[in-house]
Amino acid sequence: MAAVTLEHVGKRFGALAAVDDVSLRVEAGEFLAVLGPSGCGKSTLLRLIAGFERPDAGTISLGEHRVSGPDAFVAPEDRHVGMVFQSYALWPHMSVAGNIGYPLRVQKLAGRELARQVDAALDAVGLTGLGDRRPAELSGGQRQRVALARCLAMKARIVLLDEPLANLDVHLRARMLAEIAAFRTLSKATLVYVTHDQAEALGVADRVAVMAGGRVRQVAAPAALYRTPQDGVVSRFVGPGTVARGEVTQTYANGHAAVALFGREWQIRSAPGQGAGPVEVCIRPEDVAIVSPGNGFAASVARVLYQGGRTVVEAAPASDPGTTLSLSVRSSEPVAPGATLHLSLVDGWVIPGR
Amino acid sequence: MPWMPARRGERLTFATLLGLVVLLAVVPIARLAQEALAPHGKLDVGVLDDVVHSPAVWHAAGNTLTVSLGGAALAILLGAAFALLVSLTDIRAKKPLVFCFMMPLLIAPQVTALAWINLLGPNSTLLRALGIAPAPGSAHPLYGPGGIVLLLGLEQAPVVFLAVRAGLRALPRDLVEAAQAAGARPWRIVRTIVLPLMMPSVAAGGMLAFVGSIGNFGIPAFLGIPAGFTVLVTLIYQRLAGFGTSALSEVAALSLLLALIALCGLALNGWLARRRDVRVTAWTTATPEWTLGRLRGAVEGACWSGLFLVLALPFAALVATALVPAIGVSLTPRNFTLANFHFVLFDYAATRRAFLNSASLAATAAVMLVVMAVPLGYSLAGRRSSLRQAVGFVAELPYAVPGVVLAIAMILCLLRPLPLLGLSLYSTIWIILVAYLSRFMLLALRPVTNALRQIDPSLDEAARMSGARYARRVMTVIMPMVAPSAVAGGMLVFLMAFNELTVSALLWSSGSETVGVVLFSLEQAGDAVSAAAVAVIAVVVTLGMMLLSNGLASRVARGVLPWQP
Amino acid sequence: MMKSGLVSWLIAALACALVAVPVAAAPGGKLVLYTSQPDRDAQRTVDGFRKKNPGVEVEIFRSGTTEVMSKLMAEIAAGSPRADVLLIADALSMERLKAAGQLQAYPQADVSELPADAYDKAKTYFGTKLITTGIIVNRQATMKPTSWKDLLKPEAKGQVALPSPLYSGAAAIHMGALREDAALGPDFYARLAHNGAVALRGNGAVLNAVAGGQKMYGIIVEFMALNAKAKGSPVDFVFPAEGVSIVTEPTAILRGTKNPEAAHAFVDFLLSKEGQELAVSQGYFPARRDVKPPPGFPDVATLRILPVDISELEKRDELNKKRFAELFGG
Repeated sequence: MAAVTLEHVGKRFGALAAVDDVSLRVEAGEFLAVLGPSGCGKSTLLRLIAGFERPDAGTISLGEHRVSGPDAFVAPEDRHVGMVFQSYALWPHMSVAGNIGYPLRVQKLAGRELARQVDAALDAVGLTGLGDRRPAELSGGQRQRVALARCLAMKARIVLLDEPLANLDVHLRARMLAEIAAFRTLSKATLVYVTHDQAEALGVADRVAVMAGGRVRQVAAPAALYRTPQDGVVSRFVGPGTVARGEVTQTYANGHAAVALFGREWQIRSAPGQGAGPVEVCIRPEDVAIVSPGNGFAASVARVLYQGGRTVVEAAPASDPGTTLSLSVRSSEPVAPGATLHLSLVDGWVIPGR
Repeated sequence: MPWMPARRGERLTFATLLGLVVLLAVVPIARLAQEALAPHGKLDVGVLDDVVHSPAVWHAAGNTLTVSLGGAALAILLGAAFALLVSLTDIRAKKPLVFCFMMPLLIAPQVTALAWINLLGPNSTLLRALGIAPAPGSAHPLYGPGGIVLLLGLEQAPVVFLAVRAGLRALPRDLVEAAQAAGARPWRIVRTIVLPLMMPSVAAGGMLAFVGSIGNFGIPAFLGIPAGFTVLVTLIYQRLAGFGTSALSEVAALSLLLALIALCGLALNGWLARRRDVRVTAWTTATPEWTLGRLRGAVEGACWSGLFLVLALPFAALVATALVPAIGVSLTPRNFTLANFHFVLFDYAATRRAFLNSASLAATAAVMLVVMAVPLGYSLAGRRSSLRQAVGFVAELPYAVPGVVLAIAMILCLLRPLPLLGLSLYSTIWIILVAYLSRFMLLALRPVTNALRQIDPSLDEAARMSGARYARRVMTVIMPMVAPSAVAGGMLVFLMAFNELTVSALLWSSGSETVGVVLFSLEQAGDAVSAAAVAVIAVVVTLGMMLLSNGLASRVARGVLPWQP
Repeated sequence: MMKSGLVSWLIAALACALVAVPVAAAPGGKLVLYTSQPDRDAQRTVDGFRKKNPGVEVEIFRSGTTEVMSKLMAEIAAGSPRADVLLIADALSMERLKAAGQLQAYPQADVSELPADAYDKAKTYFGTKLITTGIIVNRQATMKPTSWKDLLKPEAKGQVALPSPLYSGAAAIHMGALREDAALGPDFYARLAHNGAVALRGNGAVLNAVAGGQKMYGIIVEFMALNAKAKGSPVDFVFPAEGVSIVTEPTAILRGTKNPEAAHAFVDFLLSKEGQELAVSQGYFPARRDVKPPPGFPDVATLRILPVDISELEKRDELNKKRFAELFGG
C-alpha cells in the first residue's frame, strides 16, 4: 500500500499548467525527493498533497483514503500530514514548546502527557531545554529542528518538506541534511522532499522524481538517474556532464550500442530496444579519459576550473566545436586553456528516444 | 531594527516635516495649555485647581471613560469580526459589503444621532408599522450611556476594520497553513494564531476608536443631555455657553484632561503592541480563504441584515425626514415633497458653496497629509523608537480634543498674522485647512508607520545599492509598498474631514462654509427638514466620490482602496 | 515753476478735501457682524441695512450663540477681536460681556420707542425684538395646556421637553423669569423635574422632540413653533396665562471697533422703524411700540410679560445652573 498516490493530477493557474498530468507513487517509509528548477511545479505538487490547493484533474490518495478528487476533498487539517515550510512557519507569539505542542493540543492532549511528548520531541532533535525560548531567539538551524520536532510530536506518517535548506548557510546544509535523514530514521515516516539542489536530492533520497514544466520526467533511484537518465532534461539537470548528438549504427544484445560520435565509433550503454538512428548521448566526466595522441579525438581546452585536489576541464571536440565536454583531472597535472587534448570515451549512455 | 544612516537631503526633509508636525500639533495644544495655566498672561493655577477639585468634572470624566471604552470595545468587536470575515472567508459581494460598512464615517455624528432618534422614537414610521413604537412620552430607548455606546461603537467600527484588515493582509500565509497541517480547524486557528498575531492591529484600531470617542460631541449632545448624562465634551460646551471670565481657561484645562485620557489610551496601545511582532520579507502574501460551506448563506444574510439595520434604516429615516414639508408631518404618498431638496440646492446659496468647499478642503487635507506621512514615517522608521512614539503621541492630541477646542486653539494661534510671512490666515478658508491638517494628521500617519514597521529594511537597502537617492527611493520603493495603508489613511481623512462639523462651525467665514456648517445652521434654526436634505445630499455625494475613486483605482495597484478585497 | 507746482498741489489737496468730506459723512468701510440669528434672517437683516447704507461692506459670522461667544472670547484672549457689532440671542450673554468691559456704549441711540427693560441702562446693548417663550403642543396631545401650571399635571408626566439653561442663555433667562413670578414660585422647575420633564440642548431640539411626537409639550421660543406650524408641522403654540418671558435678541457695539460710524449706523438701523418692520416680516414681535406685530400674533399689550432683572440674574447664574444640574442631571 503506497503512502501517497497521485494519478493524473493536474493544476492550472490561469493559462499556466503548474502541474500537468502527474502520476506518482510514494511507498510507505520511502524518502522521495522531487527535484527540478524554479517554476517547475514541485512546490505546487507538494501543496496539492498537503491539501492547500485543489487539483483540477486527477486524484490523490493517502494510504487507502482518497483525499483529493472530483468527488472528494479532505481539508488539510484532516489529512494528518506534517509539513516543514521553507520559512519553517514557527508562530512568533508562541514559545518553542508551544509551537511543538500545538498539534497535540489540537488533539486535546494536556498537562503532563503533553509536556512529556513535547520534551521527547525536543530531545529527539537535540533541542533539550530550549522549550521556553521564542523562535526569534533561535538560529536558522535550530528553527528547522523545531519544525521537524513539530512533525515528530504530531506523529505524522507523511511529512512534506518544502526546500527546507534554502534559507540556511551553505556549510550548515550538509549537517542539516544529515539531521533530516536522522529524523526520517527516527520517525519512520514517509518523506516527500522538494528541492532544486541536485546534490541534496541525490545524497539522501531513496528515489528522486525529476520535474520540469509541470511534468514528472523520471522517477528513479539516484544512481539510476545519474547513470541512465531517460531524457535530455533529466540528464542535464542531474549531475555534471554533457549531452552530445551522435548516431546509433548498431545495437547489441548486451545492453550496449555502437554510436558514431566525434568522428569515431564507441561502445556505449543503451536501453533495451534502442533502435538505430540519431540520438542524444549522456557523457559524464568520469566517462572521458585523456589518451595519447592518435588513440582518441582532438579537443581544445576552453576553460579550467580549479577545485582543490581536482580540476574540472571543459574542452570542445575539434569535430564538434559546439559541444563542451567536461572531465576531471588531478590538479597536480595541470592543463592550460587553449591546449589541445586527446580524449577518449570510456563510457556513456544513449538517451532513449521519444 | 536600525535602517541605514541618513544623508543630507533626507535629514533636511525630515527636519521640515518634523517642524510641520510641531507647528500643526504641538503649538495649538501648547497655546491651550498656556491658556489653562496662565490666562491673561500671568501664571495662575487657580483655574486648574478648581477643575481638579470639582466633583462635576470627575463625574463627567468618569462618564467619558465609560462610554469611550464601551464604544471602543463595541467598535473592536464589530470591526475586527468584519475584517476577519472579509479577509479570511469566501463570502460573496465583498466589495459592496465593505463599501456599506464604511458608510457610518460618511455621516456626521449629529446627523446619525438624529436619524436614530427618529427611527426609534414614538413617531417612527417603521416602528409604527411593526406595531412596537414606544408610547409617546416614554423615555427614548437611546437616551443615556447605552445609546451613546451603541452609536459610538457603530461610528468607529470602520476605523477598527481598516486597521485590522491591513494587519491581516500582512499575515504570512504559511503561519496559517502550518496550523492547518497540524490539524487545527478554522475557528481554532483564528483563536490561537490569527487573533494573537493581530493584537497590534486590533490595539491600533481600538485606540483610534477610543480617542475618536472621547472628543465626540454630536452623539453625547443628542443622547446624553436629555438623560442628564454629561461627558467632558458636553461639560466643555456648558462652560462655553456660560461665558464666565475664566471660561476659556477652564475649557483649556478640561481639554488637557481629555488629552491626558488620550495619553493613557496610547500607553495601553503601546504596551499591547510591544508584545507581538511579526515581520515579513515579502511585500505581501495572500491570506487563505476558508470556505464556509453551508454556513455561507447564513453568514452573508447576517452581514447584510446587520448592515441594513444599522445603516439603511437610519438613512431611510433621514430620507423620510427630508421628504416631508415640515418636521413632525408623517410621510405619506400624498404629502411627500422635494421642496426641501429644491430649497437647499437652488435657493440656499450656501449649500453648493459648502459642498465645493468641503470637498476641496477634505481632498486637499487628505492628499497633503498622505504626502507628508510617507516620508515622515520612512524617516521615523530609521530612528529611535522613542522619537517615533513621541511623534505618535503628539499627533494624537489634536484628534482627541473636541472640535470646538481645537478651533479655539486655532483662533488663539492664527488670529494675528503669521510672524515671518506677515499674512493672516484668519477669516479665510485656509484656517480651516490648517485645522484639518492638525486634527486628522493621526489618521494618515498611524497606518503608514504601522506598515513601515513590518517591512524588511533589505528592500530599501537594495534600492540604495542600485544608486537610488532619497527622493527616488521614497517615490518608487517606499510609496508603493505602503500605498494601501497610506491610501486607506487618506480615505479616512477625506471622509471625516468632509463631514466635519464642530471645528468649522467656529472657523468659517463668508464664503468658506462647509457642509457641516450648513447642517448646523439649518438644524439650529429649527429647520430640521432642510438639514436632513443636506445630509442626504452629502451622503449621496460622498458615495459618488467613493464610486468614482473605485473606477480610477482599477488603474492603480491592487488593494489600494480599503474596500477592494 | 516750483510755485505753480505748489499751487496745483494745493488745489488738488483742497479738491480732495472737498470730495472727502461728504464721503466721510456717510458710513463706509467694512463692518464685521457676529450673530446667532438664523442664516436667512441674518442675510436679510444685512441686506436691509446695506440698502440704507450702501457704502458699508458687511462681513458676517453666523453660528450658535455658544459658538459665537466662544469665537469672540478666543479672539479677545488672543488680543485682537474682529467683531464690530454683535447681534445675539440673549441679554444674559451681553450682560457678561458688559461686565468684562468688552462693550462700547452708544448713548445717542434712539430708544424712545423701546420698552424700558428692553435695553441696557448704560446703553451698551439694545433689544431688537421681543421673542417670547411659551408652550408648544403636539396636536395629538389630549390635554391642551393654557398655563405653565398645566405642565405639572399628571397628563403631562414625562411629556415635557425644555431647553437646558446649561447650554442656552435664553433658557436661563426664561428659568429666571419663572422663578421670579409669585404665582409659579422658585420651586416650579423642581416640580417640573419631578413630573418627568426632560432638558434638551436648545430650542431646535425641543421643536424636533415635540413635532416629532416624542414629547407632547415643550417650552420653546414662539417664532420657531409658529414657523413650523405655518409649514405644516402638527403643532400649536400657546401663550400661557401666567405670562411669557422675553428675550430681546440684543445688539451691541464692541469696544475697540475699527468702524464706530458704521457700527452706530447698524444699531440705528435695527432700532429704526424700517429695521423693526423687517423683523416683523421675519416673524418676530417688534421691540418698538409703534410697530405692529406680524399678522396672527397677539397685540404685545395683551401679553403678560414676566419681568426679569438681567444683571441680578447674571450674578446668580452659577447658583441657578447648579440647582438645575442637580434637578435634571448633567
